[in-house]
Amino acid sequence: MITQKLYLKPKSLDEALKSASENENNFRFLAGGTDILVNKFQGNDAADCLIDISGIEELRQITKSENYLSIGSLVKLDELQSHSEICKEFPVLIEAAKAVASPMIRKTATLGGNLLCENRCSFYNQSEWWREAVGYCLKCDGAICIATGGRKNCFSKFVSDTAVALVSMDATIDIADIKGSYTVKLEDIYSGNGVNPRNLDKLALIISINLPMSQNYKSVFKKLRQRESLEFSSLSTAVTLNSKGKIKIVLGGVDPKPVVEEGTTNENIEDLITKITKKARIVDNDVYSREYRKEMIGSFLRKSFKILLD
Amino acid sequence: MKQLSVTVNGKKHAVLVNEHEMLSGIIRDKFGLTGTKIGCEQGSCGACTVLVDKKPVLSCITPAIRCENAEITTIEALSVRGELHKLQQKFVDKGAIQCGFCTPGMVMTALDFVNHNPEPTVNEIKEALSGNLCRCTGYKKIVEAVAEYASETKNENIQTIRTSSNSASVGVPRPYIEAEKKVTGNAEYADDIKVKNALHCKFLRSIFPHAIIESIDTTDALKLQGVHYIATGKELPVKFGVLPISQDETAMAVEKVRYIGEIIAAVAADSEEIAQQACKLIHVKYKTIKPFLEIDESLNDIGENEKIHSYGKFNNNIHKKAELRFGDQQQGLKEADVTSKMSFEFEGINHGFTEPHAATAFWDENRLTIITATQVPHYLHRALAKVMEVPLNRVRVIKPFVGGGFGGKSDPFPHEIIISHIARKTGRPVRVRLSREEVFLTNHGRHPSKMTVEMGVSKDGFIKVLDADIAIDGGAYGSFGVVTSYYNGVLLQAPYKLDNFGFRAFRVYTNKPQSGAMRGHGAVNSRFAVESLIDDLAHKINMDPCELRMKNFLDSNTLTVGQYRITSNGSRESLQKVMEQSNWKNRIQKKKFGKGLGVACGFFISGSALPIIWNELPQSVVHLKVDFDGRVVISSGASDIGQGSDTMLAIIVGEVLGIDMDNIYVLAADTLLTPVDMGSYSSRVTFMAGNAAKDAAAKLKEEIINAVSAAKNIPANELYFSESRIFSNDKTVEISWLESIEILTAKRGAVSVSGKYISPKLGGDFKGAGAGLSPSYSFGACIAEVDVDTETGHVKVLNIWGAHDCGKAINPLAVEGQLEGSWHMGLGQTMTEQMKYFKGLLVNNNFLDYKIPTTLDTPEIYTNIIETVDPEGPFGAKECGEGAIHPVIPAIANAVYNAVGVRITKLPISAEDILKGIKEKKKSTEKISA
Repeated sequence: MITQKLYLKPKSLDEALKSASENENNFRFLAGGTDILVNKFQGNDAADCLIDISGIEELRQITKSENYLSIGSLVKLDELQSHSEICKEFPVLIEAAKAVASPMIRKTATLGGNLLCENRCSFYNQSEWWREAVGYCLKCDGAICIATGGRKNCFSKFVSDTAVALVSMDATIDIADIKGSYTVKLEDIYSGNGVNPRNLDKLALIISINLPMSQNYKSVFKKLRQRESLEFSSLSTAVTLNSKGKIKIVLGGVDPKPVVEEGTTNENIEDLITKITKKARIVDNDVYSREYRKEMIGSFLRKSFKILLD
Repeated sequence: MKQLSVTVNGKKHAVLVNEHEMLSGIIRDKFGLTGTKIGCEQGSCGACTVLVDKKPVLSCITPAIRCENAEITTIEALSVRGELHKLQQKFVDKGAIQCGFCTPGMVMTALDFVNHNPEPTVNEIKEALSGNLCRCTGYKKIVEAVAEYASETKNENIQTIRTSSNSASVGVPRPYIEAEKKVTGNAEYADDIKVKNALHCKFLRSIFPHAIIESIDTTDALKLQGVHYIATGKELPVKFGVLPISQDETAMAVEKVRYIGEIIAAVAADSEEIAQQACKLIHVKYKTIKPFLEIDESLNDIGENEKIHSYGKFNNNIHKKAELRFGDQQQGLKEADVTSKMSFEFEGINHGFTEPHAATAFWDENRLTIITATQVPHYLHRALAKVMEVPLNRVRVIKPFVGGGFGGKSDPFPHEIIISHIARKTGRPVRVRLSREEVFLTNHGRHPSKMTVEMGVSKDGFIKVLDADIAIDGGAYGSFGVVTSYYNGVLLQAPYKLDNFGFRAFRVYTNKPQSGAMRGHGAVNSRFAVESLIDDLAHKINMDPCELRMKNFLDSNTLTVGQYRITSNGSRESLQKVMEQSNWKNRIQKKKFGKGLGVACGFFISGSALPIIWNELPQSVVHLKVDFDGRVVISSGASDIGQGSDTMLAIIVGEVLGIDMDNIYVLAADTLLTPVDMGSYSSRVTFMAGNAAKDAAAKLKEEIINAVSAAKNIPANELYFSESRIFSNDKTVEISWLESIEILTAKRGAVSVSGKYISPKLGGDFKGAGAGLSPSYSFGACIAEVDVDTETGHVKVLNIWGAHDCGKAINPLAVEGQLEGSWHMGLGQTMTEQMKYFKGLLVNNNFLDYKIPTTLDTPEIYTNIIETVDPEGPFGAKECGEGAIHPVIPAIANAVYNAVGVRITKLPISAEDILKGIKEKKKSTEKISA
């Protein structure tokens, strides 16, 4: 009745991948675990095998090459602020990291983990009993999306605050899976499908997050929330301007994936705002209404541009 | 199972753990270190914080096996050889501890923070603690304690234990007597107490709001190894309820379910996990019937549909109608030069105490004993005897330390009855602890309400009329609802003088978790309406809202229109104080759009003059016993749930007898050992139990005087008690306390005395006259300052200036704590808290989505105690635990109006509504100017 549970603690990347392939259909990588363990408590994650990668030293380094700063995926959110290069070149990453959850959680949660934070919805992040009572939604093997009153798509919110900041700075990530390692643009790992929000292979692990150096980024990050701590995002915005006048806008909390729009300082800001607002598939699955969050996209972006361009 | 080697507080352990078990469970169950608390199980409250290899983690979301070979430090390791850590000492001295449930986590978090940031600013401290929720203190004293510790550590200037800490003198601030026990993690709460050989109980709960139970099949569940008993509703058919007139609840659903979350079956098993597993194997067949989820629906005739409760002569779901009218409201409306009528809506609010309900029950030669987190041992005693069908003398209720209540632990609860039943059936102790989700489903919180209120004033600012039409959503059962219905109305008849006053209040049943009593019981929402209307009227007649209030305050020693006897009344002093402190007069004139100040006042009862269960018992009885060792044992049924009532009793007795804490011991809230006290609700304990303690102490003093006077041959009226001595002015008698007790107990032995409090007969002789009658009333005022972002509608509360007339502060440190906690709780209801439902299903049933303000959301609070010395309160004291919540909520809303001209008629305040309001206003002004 009560099945055998496993808790593995690989010491190296290879060992982690091996353990994963041995338990392919029933495992979960655990970095900080602050997201997965809550989902597990609520019965949303039923993996019998937890592979705790937090002891893999090679994933905790921050290294600098000519073009990139590489942040190991297991660097904790709280540790980012003590790295001088990050403070100097990418302060918005620290700001976004500080917007995540609470100070206590940030001492355990990792940057890689935050990028893979499970999408959220009022009708999904609930106990098993609750989901049975509401009639199970698409994201937990039900037939319809309850938040939208019956649509066949899942619109669970993408809520990683750090990803919003990182994507705006054209971050890439190094990924390892059983076939080897490769680099992709961070925004490309997000599928936009609320049920399976990432394109990643099940066995894949993020090794590092890479940020291009010497871009003279100027960025503004904003987060809509009711409390100043202990909150997932209702809307996060990051706007980054590089030295060549390129603008990259990213939204979180309003779509199953980060919503991205690029432009230049020559373009009409209002057009950019209209374009990105149209892209966001916002539904009523948050404490703030759909309409309000939509309106706030414009409001937040205007405020951000004012800071950046004035 | 896997072996885990770990060092805990310096001691090496090897234990077997389940692979996916969390560290919090191991620390509590395997190592018995119950100072680590479990408040949410989801990393959202911080109560479980411990250090792993010197780094703080939330142990409820830390896998135990992750900690292999690690060094774990829990709260129990902080004090060394009985000496508190200096940070712990600061928490004690500053009064940063109330219920104490969040304290261990708070201390661990703060300690790590200061170690890394030896010179923190106040904002940095608030930031660092913003993942640790506290529901009692409003964080003010916690932040102060951490700041002081940091600055004194830096200067190596830690002050040792305060000289006052041993004192038991009225008016001298002192920490709670049990503060050290709480700050070291040694205080035992219900779930910390291990009774051997106990079974664990879990519940199967309804997934439908309104449904007939066709069948319950427990066959598969009973087959599960480790399952000992499964109880269903039919075994416990006797109805109960806290009010004798609302005995409408059974421990489990019997024939039908009335809300999503109602208990259908209970499993007792060898472990929680097995019991939980078994619940999933119970098969229930339901036939759903139409649910009623909204107030309006329940007020109306329901046609062919089935009522929620079958009794009552009308074909609707109205539970109670309360209506009282005084003077002539029509005439009042005519006399008024300006009137204002507005409708308001309020969401339900949960108490949010940090300790989830927990209890253990067992039967022995004394029959039933239950150890449970309750505010009302006496009412639970009666309910258990009734439902278990045993005589009253076969039930014992013990209240251990309780991690907050706020009205949420003031009913007898199904889980208490069910474990008592299963313990009897199995012959084994049975324990239960609710998850945070279950706490929210159990609810009994503030009623969701809708009301339309009309008021009128004369041009020169005198209130002519107040009329309120109120409907409150009681959920599925009665609880305190009949009282709540009345309080919504009757508690509007002060603090202002009203000649024409009336109200009508309906309480309806809906298919949702039941509402009940919560801090500020009944009148919080209707007070909000009245204070908003007064603000509006002041605006309309162009008068300062403070001035309008000043003009209308009732005097001291007067009667209200509904014949409440007002004795001491500090309304004016309270308002004056906050006006001065906030620089109201200067600042209200010149302000920028988006910035605002708001004011509101309030009042509350100091205990109900009438008991809930009609009988001739005094409201409070306190026994004192002194034996050869000189220690006075105070025995009281009053329930300290973190508000400091045990300390209050000790101070009163100490004051009367001139002794300090070394000679006092408080034995409280055990229905076998302590005399009946009605419990901790309606802000009654300081006034009533305090008076009983004072009465008892006076009797003991008289005994001692008589004995000493006879032995020393000195007139009784020449003896004085002070500083643990008994003396006469001419020094013929000059003996120690212990010597006096030797004289007292000679040839007699231990001496016991009994004191009591019985409320005077009060009030009119009309139906409903008893509602809200109290021997004394508290008064208060708040001014709030807000900053509204006019582009987003977001409100930030910057400052709260509060003043509260508590008569006399027996323990000023505790009174400040109560006031700050009330204002903080009011802030939550105003800004972020609400119980959100989807088709009867509570959506935000955890501490992530039910948003109690964190340290960062809590503004600067300025606390003022106003003392008016009540003629009947013990040493002049009256309530301070509830009344302060009334004014703060409308003060913030009125500040928003002052800032942006948008009137708040719905709580919590929504940024969205404010933004809409700002835009509409802009449009209409543009139209006018065009």
